Amino acid sequence: MKNNEHISLNEIGNKIPFTVPENYFEQFALNIESQTKEVTIPVRQLLKPWMFMAAAFIGVLLFAKVTYSVYSTSQDKNNENYEMYVMSQLDESVVYDYYVNNDNSN
Amino acid sequence: MSDTEAELLLQLSQPAKRAKAFSTIVRTYQERLYWHIRKMVLSHDDSNDILQNAFMKAWNALDGFRGDSQISTWLYRIATNETLTFISNKRMRSTSSIDDVEENLLRNLQSDTFFTGNEVEMKLQKAILTLPEKQRLVFNMKYFDDITYDEMEAILGTSTGALKASYHHAVKKIEKFLNPESNND
Repeated sequence: MKNNEHISLNEIGNKIPFTVPENYFEQFALNIESQTKEVTIPVRQLLKPWMFMAAAFIGVLLFAKVTYSVYSTSQDKNNENYEMYVMSQLDESVVYDYYVNNDNSN
Repeated sequence: MSDTEAELLLQLSQPAKRAKAFSTIVRTYQERLYWHIRKMVLSHDDSNDILQNAFMKAWNALDGFRGDSQISTWLYRIATNETLTFISNKRMRSTSSIDDVEENLLRNLQSDTFFTGNEVEMKLQKAILTLPEKQRLVFNMKYFDDITYDEMEAILGTSTGALKASYHHAVKKIEKFLNPESNND
């Protein structure tokens, strides 16, 4: 290019003076496709949280039931022990009087 | 609206067909949009990032697209906004002078292995970089892509009259840059 040469846009033309790496557009489209792919969640995966919650609920119920039965058994035992203790503090004549008095009042 | 475009819009509204229809759109418009962006930012890597952002924005905004404008116009608008945002972010990040962004673009272009132009074409790129961003857009769209003023009006939201005047001024400035010795006035 000489310094005094007149440059006109018409002479330069409108060719774009750039290139892209090989296979760029194919790779670009594939990349966008991978980002926009519809995500299909399998039914098993959808049910997973529900199954976990149901199992946890059943677990809590079982634990509550076992705890309650242990508690009520020990409560019965306590009552029985108390009754035996009370009975051991009484002599036979007191018990006899109690039943006789009860019969008379009826 | 063409039949193909109407068919694509219909598919975009159906969740099961949406991804496939969008893939068709990407493959149809990616090259045009890439060159539109590349002419503004010059670097391939930057163009690639901007194009990806533009398509992902379009994908995420599909529910809001009612087909009021052509798909190409809508995509050009998104790509243009992304490009201008990229340049303005770059400008904000550069701390020294206001011309830094353009100087950087030029420096990168001079060492760019993907620039295949000759000396005159490099000088034209330098001249284009002296234009304000919006005028650069108008010049590139008209000079390289021969986009009609009506289409440009729909994309840039500027009246045809203003676009014609902008292009005319851009050509004058570029010719003056290319031929500093001659009197263009």
